[in-house]
Amino acid sequence: MTTRWLEVRRTGPRGTRRRWLAAVALLVGSVGLVAGSTLLGTVAIPPQLVFQILLHQVSNGGLYPAPCAGVTVSQPLCGAYVVIIWQLYVPEILLALIVGAALGISGGALQGIFRNPLADPFLLGISSGGTIGAAVIYVYRFQEANADLFLPLFAFIGSVGTGLLILGIARGRFSSVETLLLTGVALANLLSAILSLILLYNPAGSDQVTFWLLGGLGLATWQVDGIACGAVLILATALALHGRELNLIQLGHDVAQSAGVDARRVRVRVILLASLTTAVAVAFTGIIGFVGLVSPHIVRRVWGTDYRVVLPGAAAVGAVFLLAARDVNYLLFPGSLLPLGIFTAFAGVPFFLYLLYRQRTASTMGAP
Amino acid sequence: MSLNPSSPDRPARRTVTLSWLVVALLVTAGAAIAGTAVYYTVRTATASNGPVPPGHLSVTDDLGRKVVVPYDPARVVVLSPSIMDIMYRLGLRSHVVGVDCYAAVDGGLSDDYSPDQVANWSLSSSMCVQIGPAFAPDTLANLTPELVLASTIVSVADVETISTTLGIPVVMLQPPTLSGILVDVSLVGEIFGVGSVATTLNGELSAELYNATQIDNSLLSLPTVLVTYSVDSNGYWTFGPGTFGESLIEFAGATSIGANSTTPYPELSPAQVLVANPSIIVYGTGFGLNESTYTGGPFWSSFNAVKDGNVSGIDSNWLTEPDPTMILSGIPALLAIFHPSPV
Repeated sequence: MTTRWLEVRRTGPRGTRRRWLAAVALLVGSVGLVAGSTLLGTVAIPPQLVFQILLHQVSNGGLYPAPCAGVTVSQPLCGAYVVIIWQLYVPEILLALIVGAALGISGGALQGIFRNPLADPFLLGISSGGTIGAAVIYVYRFQEANADLFLPLFAFIGSVGTGLLILGIARGRFSSVETLLLTGVALANLLSAILSLILLYNPAGSDQVTFWLLGGLGLATWQVDGIACGAVLILATALALHGRELNLIQLGHDVAQSAGVDARRVRVRVILLASLTTAVAVAFTGIIGFVGLVSPHIVRRVWGTDYRVVLPGAAAVGAVFLLAARDVNYLLFPGSLLPLGIFTAFAGVPFFLYLLYRQRTASTMGAP
Repeated sequence: MSLNPSSPDRPARRTVTLSWLVVALLVTAGAAIAGTAVYYTVRTATASNGPVPPGHLSVTDDLGRKVVVPYDPARVVVLSPSIMDIMYRLGLRSHVVGVDCYAAVDGGLSDDYSPDQVANWSLSSSMCVQIGPAFAPDTLANLTPELVLASTIVSVADVETISTTLGIPVVMLQPPTLSGILVDVSLVGEIFGVGSVATTLNGELSAELYNATQIDNSLLSLPTVLVTYSVDSNGYWTFGPGTFGESLIEFAGATSIGANSTTPYPELSPAQVLVANPSIIVYGTGFGLNESTYTGGPFWSSFNAVKDGNVSGIDSNWLTEPDPTMILSGIPALLAIFHPSPV
């Protein structure tokens, strides 16, 4: 039965070629995007200098021993540019890719497990928990001097805690998909209300929390990228391995059960893994909406509804989407430090509506 | 009534009708919003135009509103720390029966007033007039003031409530520039009949401003500085054009790296700070912020000013509150930091 379902979605050699072309375009596009992203930031640096500094750093001084040679720039400014490119922009670009991938695959997995196209980490309140954690740092000035350590830690604990709470509340005989989803939505609203209350009575840290609520890449360093990359790689791989089970769950829990898949266990595993993956993202960037929601839809539209493709595809599309949002921010508002979530929403909402319009007559979830 | 599927005109007509309905709704909503805006503008700009009763005087506040106020009122509510500073310096503390509070947390004073201000001005939670998270008119009415002195931290709608519903005159003191502080000192002096004290205070303020101008004129070059009042993981919040903080930096003989920003209170990324390369960094303290808050900021240790040890803290109130203390303490403190050796 599974085979038949998948076969329905195969569209012959033409469709296969189209999918391959799209994959190649995504790959080439992302390489170009990454290269172009190094030119964009709060400070405009001449492209030649960016190129030379990158080569200097990558080759450890082998190429361009003097990174600013041939460009009229003072020695102190050259030093500043090296720090900006290598310690700020490159880590920021990598963090955008890592977090975008994390949000994309989490969204894909949650949409699959809930069989609901609107499910994403934010709808379920997983990330709201992270914001409460961040608010403790900024509003109550707790360990603010060590914010680079405690901010991600608290945000991570908040997100994972919320994920576990959802699973805990909706366990046992109440553990239907609907109960889980509604528990998540209710919890998200409750956490949002708690956060509003905290901010209303403590306006001192509200600016910082507002920034956190809309996301940003300000915490990016090589060390942060290393931790985030390692964690997301492990968690995303674990999630991606659930593709076959998610395919079967789309056909109904009874069908999945008859094919030897324990839907309830898979659900707990996937929600837990998605919570952890989201928590890693929220820990380092705050709340960045729409990436987890839109990315899986794009993948389904282009590459079909097989979750063995949707999950890694959503990670790839999410990574590109978030990096593109960062670049749009700097292109439209040069020199301004604006929250990234604003741009993912601006880009995501019209695109999402377009997708819904195009597919209004057909299910986007792939459920038979 | 029933829709005839064979008639193609009906759905089109319904669509047209619906469109007109939407347009009508939008126009109505727009008119309502515009009307409300005009109503509030007119009401607040012309708070009083009637004859001045005995024992009262008519004054024009910083928003251009003519307000009839009682002469030398005994019970006054002050809704801004900067106005409280003027009252205290003019020896009018005993007239103040209420001050602004943000919420009923820690007596409500800690969000607006520093511990020093609370102690020096003998403020207590019983004086709280809650202006946030939402304005609570009952906390104001309960104090039975004859006059309210407020800044724009109080919204227009709240001013309307105080003056119209509660019938208490409100004078708005929101100086647009540093010299506007002197105007406000004179105005308060006039209302309370302490014109000579106000003149003396204004003399001190003028002398401080003149002194700063003289030092500025003697400088060959101005140091580039970052004066930050808050920090988060993305960067450093500073003062942009048109703000008191920026005017203060200029008066103290320095150029702010936020001066060319497009927003009044920009957040500068570490990249922007690195490129601007300020020779001096000043951070605001108080309200939970201290040196360690900033040393934990992004790329703090990479800044040359930090490497050279040219970093100083200053009371945030001196940078943000447009009051006599801003001129008498803020400018000398910044001058000492920017120009440590006598010029």
